[in-house]
Amino acid sequence: MAKPKAVVKKEKCLACGGCISVCPQDAILMISSKAVVNKGQCNSCSICVKTCPIGAINWEGKKDEI
Amino acid sequence: MKYDAVIVGCGPAGSVTARFAAEAGAKILIVERRAEVGVPVLCGEGVSQKVDHFKVLEGKRWIAAKMEGARVFSPNGTKITLSAEYAGNETGYVVYRDIFDQELAREAAQKGAEIMLNTCAIDLLKKDGKIKGIIATHFDETLEIEANVVVGADGVESRVGKWAGIQTTLKPYDLETCVQYTLCNIDWGSPYCDFFLGKQVAPGGYVWVFPKGKDVANVGIGILASLSESGKALHFLDKFIATQPELKNGEPLRVITGADPVAEPIQSVKDNLLLVGDAARQVDPITGGGLMHAIEAGKYAGETIAKAVEKQRFDTQTLSEYETWWKNAFGKKLHRNYVAKEIMLDMEDKTLDMLADSLKDYKFEEFSTLSIIKALVTKHPSLLVKLTPLMKLARA
Ligand SMILES: Cc1cc2nc3c(=O)[nH]c(=O)nc-3n(C[C@H](O)[C@H](O)[C@H](O)COP(=O)(O)OP(=O)(O)OC[C@H]3O[C@@H](n4cnc5c(N)ncnc54)[C@H](O)[C@@H]3O)c2cc1C
Ligand code: SF4
Ligand code: SF4
Repeated sequence: MAKPKAVVKKEKCLACGGCISVCPQDAILMISSKAVVNKGQCNSCSICVKTCPIGAINWEGKKDEI
Repeated sequence: MKYDAVIVGCGPAGSVTARFAAEAGAKILIVERRAEVGVPVLCGEGVSQKVDHFKVLEGKRWIAAKMEGARVFSPNGTKITLSAEYAGNETGYVVYRDIFDQELAREAAQKGAEIMLNTCAIDLLKKDGKIKGIIATHFDETLEIEANVVVGADGVESRVGKWAGIQTTLKPYDLETCVQYTLCNIDWGSPYCDFFLGKQVAPGGYVWVFPKGKDVANVGIGILASLSESGKALHFLDKFIATQPELKNGEPLRVITGADPVAEPIQSVKDNLLLVGDAARQVDPITGGGLMHAIEAGKYAGETIAKAVEKQRFDTQTLSEYETWWKNAFGKKLHRNYVAKEIMLDMEDKTLDMLADSLKDYKFEEFSTLSIIKALVTKHPSLLVKLTPLMKLARA
């Protein structure tokens, strides 16, 4: 099975750009004040997931932890 | 329409660059993807009083509170006070960054710069490999904007530089990932900006409390992204607030996230291109402060553009005057503080406590790196080994 890709939870993202500045694949863009992952470019390295200060980035298909 | 320079980003770096270039007669356009300059505020809002020297802000509307100095609390709570009484220490302001940014933009417009909001640069416009301007989206339109110089003042994301082939991706080790509340209903009457250190408080960073008035303050945290886990910054900030009797009954007026580059400065000039502010990583790697550098570098960038327009030469050599200028003004300090950051990250909490203990009664009459290191080493000789690399740089 392919590795899961990072996804930004739109309702949570506060648009600081942190994830964008550290993504080694340039896979994240700011679109209408929300970070958006381009799945095709993501290599599942987890850097953005760990970087997000409020936990707005998760793995595709994964249920949100509360 | 063709411009002398198109500036991507209407933050402090972009506005000040625009102002000084336009004042000298250059035709300038700033494109900003937001719908309102300076909003949302992504900042602790502390700035040195040195900002007054640049005469880029009128009136006082942008000032929330005047600060008498700073206090640093080591992991065990030992307090170091850096106050204005001692020579070399700076007083400062806590500002309203939205008004601050809008005032800087207003001044740029007043000198003749144009501003386009809701306009997002998506690539460089190139012809035969040469930079000729930018491609931008404006609502559902795609525009080509021609200019002799493109200025990347696009903040931490620094994509303009990337499009020009400059390596701007940050290592997690070089980014502070941040959350901040503006809390009201608190009891924090001090005229000091406070910083709290320690692995249990903020791994690889610090918690700050910057008062904006008697019962309002910005309370934020930055942790090093390489030590971060999903949502850790928010979790640690909430934990900190809960332990502070003066803060724990506070109610939030605002919550923001932030990303602050604490990297070595990068190449900031290419043919037909300049990077300014956070985009050029002009941020102090110890404090994370970038406002003063963005303003100072913006002035140099604007003046360099004006000269280039006069000569009608926009090659690397002509624009390099800007890089030489800012590297002489504060590039060495940034490098030294980058080395200091690496040393501090290596320190155990008890070493930080030892440092604080050496400095707590120290009268900062001569506020230089070298004099502080001397004071430290005199009291705790075991610190010598750790601080030697810094001492070499301070002497150089
Ligand atoms: C949480 C936090 C707290 C901080 N606290 C302090 C502090 O107390 N004191 C201090 O001195 N510094 C502080 N800093 C650093 C300071 O905020 C920055 O150094 C400063 O904002 C840099 O200004 P700038 O103009 O370079 O970038 P920014 O202010 O980030 O401006 C960049 C602008 O470019 C726009 N933009 C980006 N991409 C595009 C695009 N593709 N097209 C169009 N527009 C675009 C953005 O919307 C933004 O308006 C803090 C940073 C953070 C994250
Ligand atoms: S780091 Fe988190 S809050 Fe910041 S832009 Fe990315 S997803 Fe949004
Ligand atoms: S997981 Fe890695 S490659 Fe994928 S978007 Fe996040 S940082 Fe980029």
